[in-house]
Amino acid sequence: MPDPAKKLSVEIYSDRVVTTLVMFSVIWAVIGMLAGVYVAAEMVWPALNFDQSWLSFGRLRTFHTNVVIFGFGVSALMGTAYYSVQRTSHVRLYASNLAWFTCWAWQIAILAGGISLLMGLTTSKEYAELEWPFDIAITLVWVCFAIVFFGTIAKRRIKQIYISNWFYGGLIIVIAMLHIVNNLALPVTLTKSYSLYAGAQDAIVQWWYGHNAVGFLLTGGFLGMMYYFLPKQAERPIWSYKLSIVAFWAFTYSYIWAGPHHLHFNAIPEWVQNLGMVMSLVLLAPSWASMVNGIMTVSSAWEKLRSDPSLKFIVLALAFYGLATFEGPMLAIKSVNIISHFTEWTIGHVHSGALGWNAMITYGTFYFLVPRLVGGNLYSVRLANIHFWLALAGTILYIVALWGAGVSQGVLWLSLDDLGELRYSFTEVMAAMKPYYLLRLVAGILFFIGTLLMIYNFFKTIVGRRTIAVRPPIESLAVA
Amino acid sequence: MQSAFSPRLMLRLLFQPNIVFKELAELEPSSIAVFFKVALWFGVLPPLFAYIGASKFGWRLGTVEPLSLQKEILLSISVAYFIALLFGFISAAIVSRWMANTYGARQSLGIHFAMITVVGAPIAVGSIVHLYPNVFINVLVLIPALLWSMYLLYRGLPIVLHTTPERGMLMSSSLIGYLLVAFVSLLGITVFLWINGIGPLMGV
Repeated sequence: MPDPAKKLSVEIYSDRVVTTLVMFSVIWAVIGMLAGVYVAAEMVWPALNFDQSWLSFGRLRTFHTNVVIFGFGVSALMGTAYYSVQRTSHVRLYASNLAWFTCWAWQIAILAGGISLLMGLTTSKEYAELEWPFDIAITLVWVCFAIVFFGTIAKRRIKQIYISNWFYGGLIIVIAMLHIVNNLALPVTLTKSYSLYAGAQDAIVQWWYGHNAVGFLLTGGFLGMMYYFLPKQAERPIWSYKLSIVAFWAFTYSYIWAGPHHLHFNAIPEWVQNLGMVMSLVLLAPSWASMVNGIMTVSSAWEKLRSDPSLKFIVLALAFYGLATFEGPMLAIKSVNIISHFTEWTIGHVHSGALGWNAMITYGTFYFLVPRLVGGNLYSVRLANIHFWLALAGTILYIVALWGAGVSQGVLWLSLDDLGELRYSFTEVMAAMKPYYLLRLVAGILFFIGTLLMIYNFFKTIVGRRTIAVRPPIESLAVA
Repeated sequence: MQSAFSPRLMLRLLFQPNIVFKELAELEPSSIAVFFKVALWFGVLPPLFAYIGASKFGWRLGTVEPLSLQKEILLSISVAYFIALLFGFISAAIVSRWMANTYGARQSLGIHFAMITVVGAPIAVGSIVHLYPNVFINVLVLIPALLWSMYLLYRGLPIVLHTTPERGMLMSSSLIGYLLVAFVSLLGITVFLWINGIGPLMGV
């Protein structure tokens, strides 16, 4: 039997795979956001597609969402999950070679999947556009991700499973379930398949998937990130551990019902719509519980703000998280949704979450993580501070512009004249949107420039350095 | 000499924000005085401008034909707008005082009323653009006003409320979170009222 002390003395955390995933995440952020800026420009000047099918809005927009969510977002989640699960379990990753496989296979899937979207191959299900060969590949990588993550938890040296691992675990299990069920399809050729569901059922399954991808990936996964990295940066325990556990279970229970609010006033049963609306409203409570927990944790560690630019991003991310998780339930109310649905307000809402919450919390985490992974200091705190203000200005401008656009659009579409006819034509309404689209483009460019500054800052931080070796704490032996 | 919290002080805020912040830091204004002498009048401006603009010209949402509303409906919308702004103002001041405990800031309610008035002032003054009821022009003018408000909040809060810049930064960000939620609620309530017959004629 191997001596546990000897084993621990040579055991180091698998951090190189974390560094690689973080770097890929940042690269996908640049590619995905550039595509976002380009489609925003196409909304103002449609001729920018140069009559190239792959540059058309329909293809490039799908490319943008997939690359940002699955390239930038999931690579960040995978990397931070691997980093934090080792440190909260005091043990090296289980099957670290498999972790390397998940890292590279995921990048290849995103690259090939992105190209397939530009080629026009799509299932036409939002956020699940990739065709069936990719769906199988993604399932395979995801199962390996689960094996590495839960395998590490299984061999942990700490009895308690820390709250961030519950959120990351929830992400892995629920996304697997959603992805498999929603993508069940009959392939007819290598590049074409037909969904197993038809009509209203297809819509319900799709939005059960779509909304819970937002829930368990973009909210739950990133809450996992928040629950580990915020207390770590603040050097304080989480404000209320009990509240975090209650919030996790309440969140998990209520989120899964909220999908039908995407289908208000559509051909699905009325009671399903009402249930979706009510559960969306209930969702506010657990969402805000996590926000309060985060804000109260950082409140007692204010002196850290002097030296650490990353905390600022996290604090602001929590403010936007508060906004987005309030706005979501509000938009799910049927008498608000009747105006907001299909308008730019929805896009603005998504971006208050995507830019304000997901990107900001990831940036904050990366500014903390990258220097520590390579054992150095951040190249420039000043650049990080400039990035902070660019990100804040870009996000605010984006949201306000699309609030103006969305509310106007909603009113214009539904306005009646004295004879009870629609007052405005579709073309008129589209023309009215142009100035807002221009503002949104400016907002996107501001946010994008900030991201470029960050990648430059990281490049200068890590150039000429290697990921440092970190050992689990020796006291873990006592419980091993 | 100590100056009182007055409209004149608010005007100087435009040109000498830092000096005004320092003066405010020395003041102990009463909530009633701040509310009736300054805040109420700033609060009247946006609904008043909106009423005049909409009744004279009709709202333009980027299309050729303006959207005109009946005088009575306009009046009820303007009054609702005023009440919502007052509610937002008072609730923000109360929330700010509630937060003060966490961030080691001053506790008197009056100074929080004053701080929220300062932060809201650029938007209230900027609302003069409601006289020209074109939604995009309004967005274009109100965005810089909003950014100026945010600058005043981040810059002024730690000085006026006697807390460290770092805690001030945290408190300002928390307040931004509350104010964004309050603003989006205003949008939600507005839309809700439209659907229930107070607003433009819509096919719903």
